[in-house]
Amino acid sequence: MESISPFCSLSTEVRYSPPWQDLSIIGIAGSSGSGKSSVAMEIVKSLNLPWVVILVMDSFYKTLTSEEHHKAHANEYDFDCPESIDFDILVETLRDLKKGKKANIPVYSFAEHQRQSHTTTLYSPRVIILEGILALHDPRIVEMLDVKIFVEADMDVCLGRRVLRDVRERGRDVEGIIKQWFEFVKPSYTRFVEPQRPISDIIIPRGIENKTAIDMVVKHIQRKLQEKSDTHTQALRELGLIAAAVELPSNVHVLPSTPQFVGMNTILQTPETEQEDFIFYFDRLVSILIEKALDMTSYVSAKVETPQGNTYLGLHPKGTVSAVAILRGGSCMETALKRSIPDCITGRVLIQTNEINEEPELHYLKLPSQIEEHAAVILMDSQMSSGGAALMAVRVLIDHGVEQGRIVFVTCAAGERGLKRLTAVYPRLNVIVGRIEEEGEPRWIEKRYFGC
Amino acid sequence: MASKPESGPSPAQGVGPLYRPDGEKPTATVSKEVSYENVHVLPQTPQLIALLTMIRDKRTSRADFIFYSNRIIRLLVEEGLNHLPVVEQSITTPVGRSYLGVKFEGKICGVSIMRAGEAMEQGLRDCCRSVRIGKILIQRDEETCMPKLFYDKLPTDIAERWVLLLDPMFATGGSATLAVETLIERGVPEHRILFLNLIASPSGVAEFAERFPKLRVVTSFIDQGLDEKKYIIPGLGDFGDRYYSM
Repeated sequence: MESISPFCSLSTEVRYSPPWQDLSIIGIAGSSGSGKSSVAMEIVKSLNLPWVVILVMDSFYKTLTSEEHHKAHANEYDFDCPESIDFDILVETLRDLKKGKKANIPVYSFAEHQRQSHTTTLYSPRVIILEGILALHDPRIVEMLDVKIFVEADMDVCLGRRVLRDVRERGRDVEGIIKQWFEFVKPSYTRFVEPQRPISDIIIPRGIENKTAIDMVVKHIQRKLQEKSDTHTQALRELGLIAAAVELPSNVHVLPSTPQFVGMNTILQTPETEQEDFIFYFDRLVSILIEKALDMTSYVSAKVETPQGNTYLGLHPKGTVSAVAILRGGSCMETALKRSIPDCITGRVLIQTNEINEEPELHYLKLPSQIEEHAAVILMDSQMSSGGAALMAVRVLIDHGVEQGRIVFVTCAAGERGLKRLTAVYPRLNVIVGRIEEEGEPRWIEKRYFGC
Repeated sequence: MASKPESGPSPAQGVGPLYRPDGEKPTATVSKEVSYENVHVLPQTPQLIALLTMIRDKRTSRADFIFYSNRIIRLLVEEGLNHLPVVEQSITTPVGRSYLGVKFEGKICGVSIMRAGEAMEQGLRDCCRSVRIGKILIQRDEETCMPKLFYDKLPTDIAERWVLLLDPMFATGGSATLAVETLIERGVPEHRILFLNLIASPSGVAEFAERFPKLRVVTSFIDQGLDEKKYIIPGLGDFGDRYYSM
């Protein structure tokens, strides 16, 4: 006889994989000055998508000791051997990105020969082009690469380009560059760079001028992206089917249909309502949603004294409550938000639904720093139909360290299927919904609010 | 039959959303419950309690006092407006779907009991933009110690309107009773008066609810009781002073 596991809920957990979880990495190696970065840039330019990014291996140069520092300034330090690159950190970064996590990319200063204290954040690319003379050197990286490219050029051309670039962009003098070239760059080419050639999938001679080869790579990436997008939309569809059967959990609050609330919803949905009135009633309605959302945040008991000297045992809010607006719809709700929290720290995330396959796409992201420490994050969107954008936005917050139970998603109107899908994936998410709308309702609130 | 609230401190309990386990709900003092059908106390949610905590705290600055009391007043007005009549209305939405909604019925006006009641006008206007607002000045008569009507300026058609009577602190109910009597004298039916206040005393609420059984009281909190000077305890001090001048 089979017994029912008490932990069955864990095994049936519904997962959502954002499109950036299955990252493709393309490695471009080749001699210094061979045109690797031009090739990489040309590829990115022809694709013109925000989620195809270049990761330059130069960012991963090790910080020099003071002795090495002196050598570097005297052009006696070998920047072209594998030891100069921090491969461990690079591997770790790529592994994080492969898992869909956010990664901090070091910033390297060529003038100071050291890593800067700040880092840049790389998050949610679907394709990364890793570019560096030794991009195909470390077997741990080679293993992660989808396509291995080797760019070749005549060594004289390479030297010429190197001189021009280092003088113009890195503030170096010609003499030093030449010294470095013959002492380190050229020997290193034979020892480390050239041996990468046989393991590459594509060899691009003449770099940037080689339109046919670049075009081939671009086509390959486009195919990959299409596959990723198909998998993502398919996964979203399947999540909808799984979720259709479940009940709405108790942490989803649909506001009661009080006469005023229904009345406001009636005014808002009447096409003849003037825009001025629309904005007034929308702000008023959202104010109620925001006050409700604040019930889901954290409080601690607090004893206060009144002016007459009586004590009262009440509550104080605990920690910071910040907000993130899903653009554009969520930004309609900021006026009402500021009525309750005038100085609310607010981040934004632009998620657009692709008109062709209805896939949500993350275009832009600016989150408050230390968001992971905030006691609650109010995530706002004026409307939610299938829940694709919300699924993605919650995932973005979780990837940035925000605990699921601390997120309060607030929306004026949502489809029931979308809500079930959202809460099936994030069972601890708090949700405040103004009104359940019919399935498949197109977004119109933001158009009315902004008047375009 | 309606029961009078018991004297003694207001109940303390864990406050938070229903789904949250009790251990995760911080303890706070909540409003006393009364069983008068015409008395409506706002749901004792953690955010409401936190707002009340701010305005009760003597260390709260005037700017914060104004901000937090306005937030409570808006909640009171929203709750009060829900008692106004509506009629069904079917519409076609911007995306061509039909929606069975409602339309607001009946004209309203606000009447503030000067001066503390005027502090609630902003909150009312936040919810009802161009609402008419009448004023009533009631002061204690030096000789009789009874509240006396000194001044009133009310909309001429007030008898046809629903009246939201505004006074933040509902202690003995002396002024409020006189204000209601004035309104009734002007032809406003008792059932069309809604009395909005932030903090009420149990005895004030009880006497009022019995005296005007058709009038509705909307409050955010029924406090412990009154002290010998007839101040609400624990209360929040003099609302008008804290809002206007302190």
